[in-house]
Amino acid sequence: MIKVHNLTKIYGKGPTAVHALKDINLEIQTGEFVAIMGRSGSGKSTLLHLLGLLDAPTSGEIYIDNQNVLKLTAEEQAKYRLNRLGYVFQEFSLISELTLLENVYIPAICLGRENHFKQRATAILETVGLGPRIRHYPHEVSGGEQQRAAIARALINSPGIVFADEPTANLDATSSRIILDLFKKLNRESGQTIVMVTHEPEDEKYVDRVIWLKDGMIEQK
Amino acid sequence: MGNLKLAFFLAYKAILRGSRWTLALIILVTSLSFANLILTPSIMSGVTQAINKEQINTLFGHIIIDPLEGSLLLNDTGQILQKISGVAEIGGIAPHLNSTAMFKYNPGIDSSAEAKTGNWNIIGIDPDRETQVTTIAQSLISGSYLEPGDTDKIVLGVEIAGGDQAENKDFLTLGGVKIGDSITLVFPTGTERQYIVKGIFKARGGNANNLAFVSRQELTSALNIPANQDAASQILIRLINPDHEQQIISKLNTLLTGVQVRSWSDYGGGIGNIVSSFGVVASLIGGIGLVVAGVVMFIVIYINVANRRRQIGILRAIGINHKVVLGSYLLQALLYGISGIVLGGLIFGYIIKPFFDSHPIDLPIGLVSLAIDPGNIRNAVIGLILASVLAGIFPVLNITRHSIIRAIWGN
Repeated sequence: MIKVHNLTKIYGKGPTAVHALKDINLEIQTGEFVAIMGRSGSGKSTLLHLLGLLDAPTSGEIYIDNQNVLKLTAEEQAKYRLNRLGYVFQEFSLISELTLLENVYIPAICLGRENHFKQRATAILETVGLGPRIRHYPHEVSGGEQQRAAIARALINSPGIVFADEPTANLDATSSRIILDLFKKLNRESGQTIVMVTHEPEDEKYVDRVIWLKDGMIEQK
Repeated sequence: MGNLKLAFFLAYKAILRGSRWTLALIILVTSLSFANLILTPSIMSGVTQAINKEQINTLFGHIIIDPLEGSLLLNDTGQILQKISGVAEIGGIAPHLNSTAMFKYNPGIDSSAEAKTGNWNIIGIDPDRETQVTTIAQSLISGSYLEPGDTDKIVLGVEIAGGDQAENKDFLTLGGVKIGDSITLVFPTGTERQYIVKGIFKARGGNANNLAFVSRQELTSALNIPANQDAASQILIRLINPDHEQQIISKLNTLLTGVQVRSWSDYGGGIGNIVSSFGVVASLIGGIGLVVAGVVMFIVIYINVANRRRQIGILRAIGINHKVVLGSYLLQALLYGISGIVLGGLIFGYIIKPFFDSHPIDLPIGLVSLAIDPGNIRNAVIGLILASVLAGIFPVLNITRHSIIRAIWGN
């Protein structure tokens, strides 16, 4: 479970300071598929980055499974991200010099069980429909396929929570549907918590709950 | 272990699948920087070596034997020569009897024409021995060298003879003496003698060109020294292996009494200062070259790493330890550095050095080819490896210092 207390993020200082998030309080249950929605500049991505330990808040607390993760050192946070969290970014975020298979299993090399994870990466890539493409490089596949590979990478270490930052923003309608179906399937079958930022109203039907943000605050609808 | 493996894996993939042009450019820049780092000091060392060689060849030999302080002459030179010739690794021994004289030359057919005069050093030599030590005989631009038994013959340096090939202005020379001309020498003893110019030489070591040579027997007579004194001002020794100079000096010091044995470099005096000045200049240029090469390498690698900022951010976002990222880029930078050094070494060893060996630079001080100092190579290798390491580490440290989001999105 994710619990957030009085989370605030301010960019900059003085008169030019931007209050991206203002005293956010929320809870996300384990196994929930949650969408964070709102207009551009509402603070959706900022909230996702803070929840995913990619950035530090100005103030507030984040508890994941009752552990205050903001108290972890940078090195501990990196280990936490590697073992417990998965990420899918808005833009295609694969390493261009690695094949899709290598992209998926690199987080696992750190854990020292490369062969086991090679098999697992192959299986996950097959699950996301990229079985025939595992030896391809990112530039040799479509945007939708790259994003599916990024999802596979996010899943390699069996994370409890997957964060997705507008994963369908740069995809056509068909690819977007495939990606969202995939998230839904993972959520239902593996029970993974999925927190997804999106601005597409039609994505609402895939998720259990929507957290609406407006001007850095949660909007009750 | 997993972190190290991943660092190697990422570095290997980045090199294997990264831009070939970037890789080629970085290695080329490094290799040229390395070649340049060796080239400049090697030319300077080459100049120094050329000066040394000419000093040895025309003025000093490798070892010089002088009379003790307070004495002007060595006596019984024949006996000294005999003792020295028993020492192994000696290539040649040449006694010199040194003096000065006023040279007079009347270039006109008409005896009323004004004579050209000047004071120069004159050296009495044993011609057959001299050719085993100095190379003056090989530097003749006209005429021929002295032979044993020549008494009324003289060989002049080009700066005494004058003419088209002399560097000095006409008034500082005898104004264009030719082979077969007669010149008059007035010695400090007051003796005045006429000599036929037998040869004119132009040695690359400029100092020798202000010397004139007659036979030692003739000069002994002109200076009113008894012939049975067998006098010499100094004895020059050429070694078969100059690297053994100090050992031979020690042997000679044991063998000979009543003389001073010195290395040519001790004797060089002012020349030694010039040589050490070249050393300082070479070190200075080498140091600046190292900094420039390091900065160039740093910039090229820095730009390459900085362009991968987003990739570094993504790796960190998915939980890859920043030390893995750092290690990966450090390995890449080291590979660039080492490849550049190897390529630069090959360029230098197989292209630049052979070219200079077959086309030495023709300078007034001598033919200059490259003299490679292992110390310069060591400094260049260390310098460039260090530059590679810094160029690999700094941009990554800079990127990992900021938040992951800033690395990925650049804001």
